[in-house]
Amino acid sequence: MSIFTPTNQIRLTNVAVVRMKRAGKRFEIACYKNKVVGWRSGVEKDLDEVLQTHSVFVNVSKGQVAKKEDLISAFGTDDQTEICKQILTKGEVQVSDKERHTQLEQMFRDIATIVADKCVNPETKRPYTVILIERAMKDIHYSVKTNKSTKQQALEVIKQLKEKMKIERAHMRLRFLLPVNEGKKLKEKLKPLIKVIESEDYSQQLEIVCLIDPGCFREIDELIKKETKGKGSLEVLNLKDVEEGDEKFE
Amino acid sequence: MVLNSLDKMIQLQKNTANIRNICILAHVDHGKTTLADCLISSNGIISSRLAGKLRYMDSREDEQVRGITMKSSAISLHYAKGGEDYLINLIDSPGHVDFSSEVSTAVRVCDGCIIVVDAVEGVCPQTQAVLRQAWLENIRPVLVINKIDRLIVELKFTPQEAYSHLKNILEQINALTGALFTSKVLEERAERETESQVNPGSERGEQVYDWSAGLEDTDDSQLYFSPDQGGVVFASAVDGWGFGIEHFARIYSQKIGIRKEVLMKTLWGDYYINMKAKKIMKVDQAKGKKPLFVQLILENIWSLYDAVLKRDKEKIDRIVTSLGLKIGAREARHSDPKVQINAICSQWLPISHAVLAMVCQKLPSPLDITAERVEKLMCTGSQTFDSLPPETQALKAAFLKCGSEDTAPVIIFVSKMFAVDAKALPQNKPRPLTQEEIAQRRERARQRHAEKLAATQGPASVEPPEDGGAPETSPKGEETKGGEHQVEGETLKPQPEEGSSHESFVAFARVFSGVARRGKKMFVLGPKYSPVEFLRRVPSGFSTPLDDLPPVPHMACCTLENLYLLMGRELEGLVEVPPGNVLGIGGLQDFVLKSATLCSSPSCPPFVPLNFEATPIVRVAVEPKHPSEMPQLVRGMKLLNQADPCVQILIQETGEHVLVTAGEVHLQRCLDDLRERFAKIQISVSEPIIPFRETITKPPKVDMVNEEIGKQQKVAVIHQTKEDQSKIPEGIQVDADGLITLTTPNKLAVLSVRAMPLPEEVTRILEENSDLIRSMEQLTSSLNEGRNTQTIHQKTQEKICEFKRKLEQHLTGRKWRNVVDQIWSFGPRKCGPNILVNRSEDFQNSVWTGSGVKASKEASRYRDLGNSIVSGFQLATLSGPMCEEPLMGVCFILEKWDLSKFEEQGASDKHNQERRDVVQEAQAEGEACPGRGEKGGPQDGGSEPSEQKTSQRGESSLTDCYGPFSGQLIATMKEACRYALQVKPQRLMAAMYTCDIMATGDVLGRVYAVLSKREGRVLQEEMKEGTDMFIIKAVLPVAESFGFADEIRKRTSGLASPQLVFSHWEGTESPAHRSRSQGGPCLPSGTSAGCAATGSGCRDPLCRVLGQAGGPPECVPPLGWRADRAAWCTSQWCGRARGSLLQPCRITTVYVRRQVVPFLTFCSQTGPFLQSRI
Repeated sequence: MSIFTPTNQIRLTNVAVVRMKRAGKRFEIACYKNKVVGWRSGVEKDLDEVLQTHSVFVNVSKGQVAKKEDLISAFGTDDQTEICKQILTKGEVQVSDKERHTQLEQMFRDIATIVADKCVNPETKRPYTVILIERAMKDIHYSVKTNKSTKQQALEVIKQLKEKMKIERAHMRLRFLLPVNEGKKLKEKLKPLIKVIESEDYSQQLEIVCLIDPGCFREIDELIKKETKGKGSLEVLNLKDVEEGDEKFE
Repeated sequence: MVLNSLDKMIQLQKNTANIRNICILAHVDHGKTTLADCLISSNGIISSRLAGKLRYMDSREDEQVRGITMKSSAISLHYAKGGEDYLINLIDSPGHVDFSSEVSTAVRVCDGCIIVVDAVEGVCPQTQAVLRQAWLENIRPVLVINKIDRLIVELKFTPQEAYSHLKNILEQINALTGALFTSKVLEERAERETESQVNPGSERGEQVYDWSAGLEDTDDSQLYFSPDQGGVVFASAVDGWGFGIEHFARIYSQKIGIRKEVLMKTLWGDYYINMKAKKIMKVDQAKGKKPLFVQLILENIWSLYDAVLKRDKEKIDRIVTSLGLKIGAREARHSDPKVQINAICSQWLPISHAVLAMVCQKLPSPLDITAERVEKLMCTGSQTFDSLPPETQALKAAFLKCGSEDTAPVIIFVSKMFAVDAKALPQNKPRPLTQEEIAQRRERARQRHAEKLAATQGPASVEPPEDGGAPETSPKGEETKGGEHQVEGETLKPQPEEGSSHESFVAFARVFSGVARRGKKMFVLGPKYSPVEFLRRVPSGFSTPLDDLPPVPHMACCTLENLYLLMGRELEGLVEVPPGNVLGIGGLQDFVLKSATLCSSPSCPPFVPLNFEATPIVRVAVEPKHPSEMPQLVRGMKLLNQADPCVQILIQETGEHVLVTAGEVHLQRCLDDLRERFAKIQISVSEPIIPFRETITKPPKVDMVNEEIGKQQKVAVIHQTKEDQSKIPEGIQVDADGLITLTTPNKLAVLSVRAMPLPEEVTRILEENSDLIRSMEQLTSSLNEGRNTQTIHQKTQEKICEFKRKLEQHLTGRKWRNVVDQIWSFGPRKCGPNILVNRSEDFQNSVWTGSGVKASKEASRYRDLGNSIVSGFQLATLSGPMCEEPLMGVCFILEKWDLSKFEEQGASDKHNQERRDVVQEAQAEGEACPGRGEKGGPQDGGSEPSEQKTSQRGESSLTDCYGPFSGQLIATMKEACRYALQVKPQRLMAAMYTCDIMATGDVLGRVYAVLSKREGRVLQEEMKEGTDMFIIKAVLPVAESFGFADEIRKRTSGLASPQLVFSHWEGTESPAHRSRSQGGPCLPSGTSAGCAATGSGCRDPLCRVLGQAGGPPECVPPLGWRADRAAWCTSQWCGRARGSLLQPCRITTVYVRRQVVPFLTFCSQTGPFLQSRI
């Protein structure tokens, strides 16, 4: 065993350690900070960008490299790079506070962007800006949950924001073409799902143009398919009913 | 003088011949408001001691703090001269360029104006501007050369120097007037020429060209300012003195014994007097003699100043006694010489007298309104007076007559609306009580006091009085109030206010004809109203009451509710206003937005819109601090919009509220108003979001170093790019030509899409015709449903054909063969500048085909699927893969759509309707079944299992585990389009403004400097005929436009003012792209390398937006730097291992719209950190 002196010691700085326990032993690899997440999400493809060194350690901070026989017994191979990859994908990482912070911040922004994208000011039928939504989210003290998808959380945020400000999901404009005999019956069933009926036309077919909450789309779609046995059709005229173009105050 | 009572004013208003409506115009800080103060003090409204310090007309707090006037305000003054009483409606206007709109509103209601010029600074940019405005409105100017005391005190000029200086200024101004005059004459001549070109028959024979330009023929002697005509006053408003030549001519004609008329002619100019011979000579015979003006006038003033400044008590006394003045003991003893001068001069040469006398003498009364001006006011745009209907033409007489009979039509022009605190309105204001009432109240108070004393329990009484809202009927409140206001007389309680409207709007208006009476019904004519339209709709000689007229656009009816006399910050209620007067009208806010014409006859045309010198150009986005306060903000902005003649307010598509103002100072005032008066909420202000468009370009023919890219290389590149198409997941086929083939998740449909850039002209045509496309879309959709309610208008049909022909004309070549006929849809929103083309064989639903083809029932199902694909295309074009910005100029070609499997199911579906219940197979099998991919496969129930499955599907085909099939198609189409884009060289397009700059020749260089600094490109430059103004046309990226107007104004000291109008989108070819653009995405990690390699600043709009130009080090945006509202970046230090070499880099990842865009990774090498790493 070599003498442990400061001069011949190669110290790795800026390390994020990824650990894995296998066959009763602990293995570690040294990675760059922030990069492990990138690797796992598939943004980073270059292994060299992630790993500080291709060797597998028992203890990174002490610089103790894992023994070959241990590797073979645990992983069935002594190809260090291969093992590194395994550990990278399956091992546990300590997420640094900065990483977590940026992740949370990013999610927060994502949520705000989704909300801004989906919602309008019901008075003007125009979207809110992301900045404004972010501010509103801070106002209601919304805390981001990392284990939920941003879309899910965005829907939650919309619900909470509705109490504070005038915000509503942008309506979807649909057109139904229903056979007349079933149309009447179906219309009653559809009614609770529809927000505004813009036009109705009973010539050979019942034609309805209406605004709905996008959340109900699936339900409506299924209902029509089921009730009319495929004869009725549904057409999306507009995904988001928002005012277009600039408007001048007059 | 004494404060004029309201009755006196009302009396004066009736004598139209003795009314003068004037405004004071000048460059900023030339002393308009001070002069106004002096004039006001002559009426005793303010003390003459305070004149010049109080700035009475600056009633806003920020006006007082900043020391500049920000709005025009009017006051009525009384002036008596030679036994005649005059009413002077004086309007003070702001001089700052940001508020030049206020000048326009003031000029419109006046007949004359006083141009004030600083004797030291001379003619300034705004002096030119206001002269031009006065000229355009055809109102007559008089000149006041102000601040002559500065020549004495600051510059220490001798009288002789001062004289030549003043002469200089006068010449400058006259030169300006001359230039205006020439350009007008030239314009008229040009007009005449075009007219004669239109009907050349008459003058054919005459070939002699008229070179004289008509200048010689036109008399211009009346135009110029000259002291001997009495149109110039020399003054010092601060010291309270001013004189016209006439004043001295009168004095000296007595003293020297030369006739006044002679003196009038000779006091100004190079005339010299021989005292002994009492003769005035034209030429200076004895050298070193002084002109009359110096000798007789200036020297006297100089010696007075000299005496006072040197505190020569004796001399002062001598002068004072010789002038026959009486100086108050207080002023005489005052240590500040300024006060003494003021005291002496304001008695010796009172400025108000000099100015008002000139005004009364030189400026026209409302009766003298010229026919020319009337015609100009009545004819909007290119209309000529003769083209107006006869009823309208008849009104001209009324204008000219300005009569006050009951038969005369009432014509009022509202030039602006201004907000007044509702409490300040006369009807709400506490008004002084009559003697009896005071006595009554006193008695009551006494009684109560006695009661209270008797009770001797006093704590309840000392309750502070509350104004406004609280119900004031409680006796206690009244009592305390009464006690407080005992001296000034008791006050009546204001009317309880209705609602929360604290701001009340008063229209700033002038009666041009007839008598405005309270309660009179009037038509409100908006700027776009046309009397022709009215006469067409309403038969002539209508006798119906005003209320039930048919609706005519831009016209409304209202009743004059409250009329006010404008007295600066005060308003006085009036019952009627005779013609020719300036007045305030309350209760019009629901009818009038900014300006309007009120008339008792509907045949009156609306007046020409005010011409604003400055158009609003500074744009900011405004948001409430607390999102829940949005409604207040919107309401506040609406009020602001009404209260300010120049401001513009937009809601953009992004939902931003954008405030457009004339300049920074104006912006500041608008924001203050919004915060404190109109919205009363906290707001935050930022730059508005800059829009971008995404597009693709042709793969380049040359690489970065301008070497041609060979075929081989190309292939290699494609292979390479395919490798790092990390964005494109497995399972998608990409061929070498960028054709993307994608299958829906349930494997039932296959779409092949290719993206191609559209030629620029085509994009332009599409943009221009978006309205036409939209109407086409509506037409087809109505036809789709078999409703033929809308018949195609002949014209529209022609337009469509024309549009199609144009497209065909530009889409030529092998690639585009037959494309026009195969156009399926436009996008985004079905009318945008992108095209979806369907190249499959069985396609027949192009946008051009009308109803006939689609009627077939069979197509119905097919149509639904088609709709889904089109929706997918719409989605894809709405937000591109780069920054989620809309696409532009991209053609998506659907080369193949293999829906055979789905159709096959549909077909077999019908066959097997009755057998449906038998079959209970798992659907997943059906989807996974690989063998049924080919077209024309087993169709009519050949194989039993397939049939069973498909029949099952017939019921639930749209609800398999991947969701509804239509949804799948949408998503697949969208994805396919996105990938098709990504394999092409993508570009961002930046919005561009066209920018018109008017500048004088001497600041041209500086204009160019600012333009080039901001990436502007000059398109053309030409000189305006008859002036020394240049007109420069340039294009400028929107991203660069913030602060542009301000910068250009600052750099050219206000001599150039730009106007920005959005013009087009422009994608810039950047070297960064070229390095990698052979098929790869636009900004790969090579961006920085590209920038570095070229060494020059990166011209890419995105790059610029992100990193403000430059190579790698500059390309790295600062931490947390925000590219756009939707994009942001983080940046960390991390390592990058390349072989054995550890290369530290600063990695900046830019997130655009919640999407990590790895190809926007900027890297830069930085030395110091190398150490710390290893």
